[in-house]
Amino acid sequence: MSTDVRPLPDSPLALPGKLPVWTAILWLFGLTAASIPLLGILTPTELVSAFWSYNSDQYSTVLAHFSWAPRVSVALLIGCALGLAGAVTQQVLGNPLASPSTLGVEAGGQFGITLATLFFPALLTFSPDLAAIAGGLLAIGLVIALTWRLGFSPVTVILAGLVITFFMGALNMAFLLLKGEWLGNLFIWGAGSLVQNNWQLFMDLWPRVLVIGIALILLMRPLQLLQLGQASASALGARVAAVRMTALFLVVLMSATVVSRVGVVAFVGLAAPVLARLLGARTLRQRLIWSSLLGSSLLLLADTLAQWASTWGNGALVPTGTTTALIGGPIILIALQNVRNTHHMPGQAANPAGFLPVRRSTLATASVIGALLIAVFLVSMGWSPGLDEWHWTPASEWGDAWVWRGPRLLAAVLAGVALGLAGTLIQRMTSNPMASPEILGISGGAALVMVVLALAGIQLDRTGQLVAATAGAGAALGLLILLARKHRFAGNQLLLGGLALYVFMDAGIRMVMASGSSVATGLLNWMYGSTWLVSDHEAIALLSLILLICGGLFLVVRPLTILPLGDSTASSLGISVGKARLLLLLLAALLTAAATVVIGPLSFVGLIAPHLARVLGQQTVGRQLVVAALAGGLLLAVADYLSRTVIFPNQLPAGLLAALVGGLYFLWGLSRHGRS
Amino acid sequence: MSAFFEVSGLGVHINNTRIISNLNIAFNEGEVSALLGHNGSGKSTLLNVLARQISPSAGDVRLQGNTFRQTGAREFARTVGYLPQHPPATDGLTVRELVALGRYPWRGPLGRYRPEDNHLIDQAIEDTGLSAFTNRSVDTLSGGERQRAWIAMLLAQQTRCLLLDEPISALDVKHQVETLRLVQRLARERDLTVIVVLHDVDLAARFCDRLIALRGGQLIADGSPRDVMDSGVLESIYGVAMGVMERAPGQWVSYVH
Repeated sequence: MSTDVRPLPDSPLALPGKLPVWTAILWLFGLTAASIPLLGILTPTELVSAFWSYNSDQYSTVLAHFSWAPRVSVALLIGCALGLAGAVTQQVLGNPLASPSTLGVEAGGQFGITLATLFFPALLTFSPDLAAIAGGLLAIGLVIALTWRLGFSPVTVILAGLVITFFMGALNMAFLLLKGEWLGNLFIWGAGSLVQNNWQLFMDLWPRVLVIGIALILLMRPLQLLQLGQASASALGARVAAVRMTALFLVVLMSATVVSRVGVVAFVGLAAPVLARLLGARTLRQRLIWSSLLGSSLLLLADTLAQWASTWGNGALVPTGTTTALIGGPIILIALQNVRNTHHMPGQAANPAGFLPVRRSTLATASVIGALLIAVFLVSMGWSPGLDEWHWTPASEWGDAWVWRGPRLLAAVLAGVALGLAGTLIQRMTSNPMASPEILGISGGAALVMVVLALAGIQLDRTGQLVAATAGAGAALGLLILLARKHRFAGNQLLLGGLALYVFMDAGIRMVMASGSSVATGLLNWMYGSTWLVSDHEAIALLSLILLICGGLFLVVRPLTILPLGDSTASSLGISVGKARLLLLLLAALLTAAATVVIGPLSFVGLIAPHLARVLGQQTVGRQLVVAALAGGLLLAVADYLSRTVIFPNQLPAGLLAALVGGLYFLWGLSRHGRS
Repeated sequence: MSAFFEVSGLGVHINNTRIISNLNIAFNEGEVSALLGHNGSGKSTLLNVLARQISPSAGDVRLQGNTFRQTGAREFARTVGYLPQHPPATDGLTVRELVALGRYPWRGPLGRYRPEDNHLIDQAIEDTGLSAFTNRSVDTLSGGERQRAWIAMLLAQQTRCLLLDEPISALDVKHQVETLRLVQRLARERDLTVIVVLHDVDLAARFCDRLIALRGGQLIADGSPRDVMDSGVLESIYGVAMGVMERAPGQWVSYVH
């Protein structure tokens, strides 16, 4: 595989020296950084003794004993637990990007607790673990069931995990918007806060972590066999399925135990094993040991960072989960340089099963969808719930109703069209039916700028937002181009780069959430695609922008057909691959930015609409573009109408509805893809 | 015959590993040449350089007397067609749609397909014996048929030269022979220059005008099948003791001792 075939050294491979050195440095740095605030008040000896005693006459020792020491201990313990869990997950799935966060286990746990808080509060007082474990198992079960037949290829598993995380996040958000008064605190907790005021949590946690940790270590030898592949491992007598299930169950237990107590501490479980591997941990035993140690120091560092950020932010709480996510983004980027087995992706199997894609007339399909679109338009303009009952607005009054119903509907349709087009472009150029602007992080880039502006306290009107979002999408795109340049903009690297961007955005959003200000509510509404904010001339401006871009699309239809046949084929047919990809990326970014401003970054329309077009029998690029655009428009038109009427007189964000429906569709489509 | 490709002083380094060094060779117009050699001998790399998929680290390649580094992508694609070793899945394209892509170098992203384009496409499908599969999805074809569909795309490209990288390595014997026979026939009918990387020296000797062998990035044998099908020469190419029998004029069988 690799070209650097070095002669093997004669002596057995020793542990690289940099591993213990770097671990020691990180620990030392973490501990020092964590104790700086107290070092001015207490001597180092007093600080160390704070872990087991305090002097009731001296307030600072009390503070150190009941707040600082438990916080440090909890950070070290949780970091160790998550590092270990992450290393085991990577071994079980043979996937250098697997971890409790990327597989959706943490989001699942959070979702379980949200549900329990709302509907079964008694369960939480009995044991918060149960709800989190159930949620975590649900999430990882979904990911595994979905990717089972696709051979667990690293990128597929991570994408499925990401979409599950998206989906559970959207569900959480729906509950928050519907029953916000119950869930306010859940968000600070959900973002992973390590603030302590006694030793209770640590005492609660350490026996559990110890027991699960020992169980995982006992599984080490069978886990080692997994590395040889299923066939060889079972030939050596390992019960592969049982080992995998047990190990993953233990990982879920470990993560859920953490999540149910401190919330989502994202990406430590990914960063620690990746770092250990980069520093030279080779065998499973080395990886488990050093991942645990590195996990501890990483989380301690992240926690200290969060504490400092809280101090700078005038005491606004910055949850630790946010800073770990900020560390997680770059780690994914580092890790993705080392992902080898990425060329096997769904839809890219060397020899796909011999099913004949259906083909249908574009004219017929497009007219049916067009007719549906018009029908939705008429219903949306006319049929609505009033104060007493549903009634039909006579056509003569539509002129007055337009102000309320027209622009938002038009904007929703246009956003759908833009996302359908962008999604088709991206799916075609990455040859991956699971790619989309949402997953590529272009929407995320646009959203990130909005979040940063909100954090800085800058209010913008729509035009300002559009400019800012376009800049954000452009920056995300530029970053992706830089990252992907050496891979000639190849699909997998783009997707993983996008994943890293999403992680950054997520961290920002959680930070805003935890601040709990009025800005947060406004941002939340925009994030989840509140079409009711759109004015008349904004909708018209959007219309002309989309029409303009559609003109540019004619240029790319043929290159887009050829590019999936491989770089060598494309260049031997006379396409300059780099330039063509750049043009495609630019068009996709522009379309995505235009849509994101209206509908927020999280709808799945860019994923579904192109897929729907394929299912409806549009197999060539040009046809798929046309039908995907119409389907995207239709989807968001329906979402907009429903968002206005379902909980009348209140409103739901249309993007959130689209995301919920889209998530379900995606899960269904993925399982169907696996079967075909 | 004039030289179609002229390679002089060619050197290729990939990740500081020397793959080819100081290689001089010329390929004649209208000739079917086979590139032989064991794995890692540099034969696929040479083909990639000719197809402009890899740029050489040293030396020069001339295409019909002109250096081709400055040639535009589509202009180059009108002269040289290249079939990679593992053509990817075609994602639902029908045979005709795949073959039609071969007209891209001539028509570009926006140019309309004229009647002569459609004629050339149909001709290419007919020449490769795929008329019955015109509207079948390429992914549903057998390995041999799929290979022919890709060759049909190269034909529709109307190049004067085909570069084929191990076109038969994934096929059974029947389809191997059929594919090579097709290539040989097309080369004669259309007066094409063909350079094909092959593993099977017997088939190469049977279907090619000229056999060229590389070892460690150096040229070690070059000549007609009669020159190369010799136990001493084959031994130097593959590094194992080999013998050769001539069963009939122009039909050799090589075997390992």
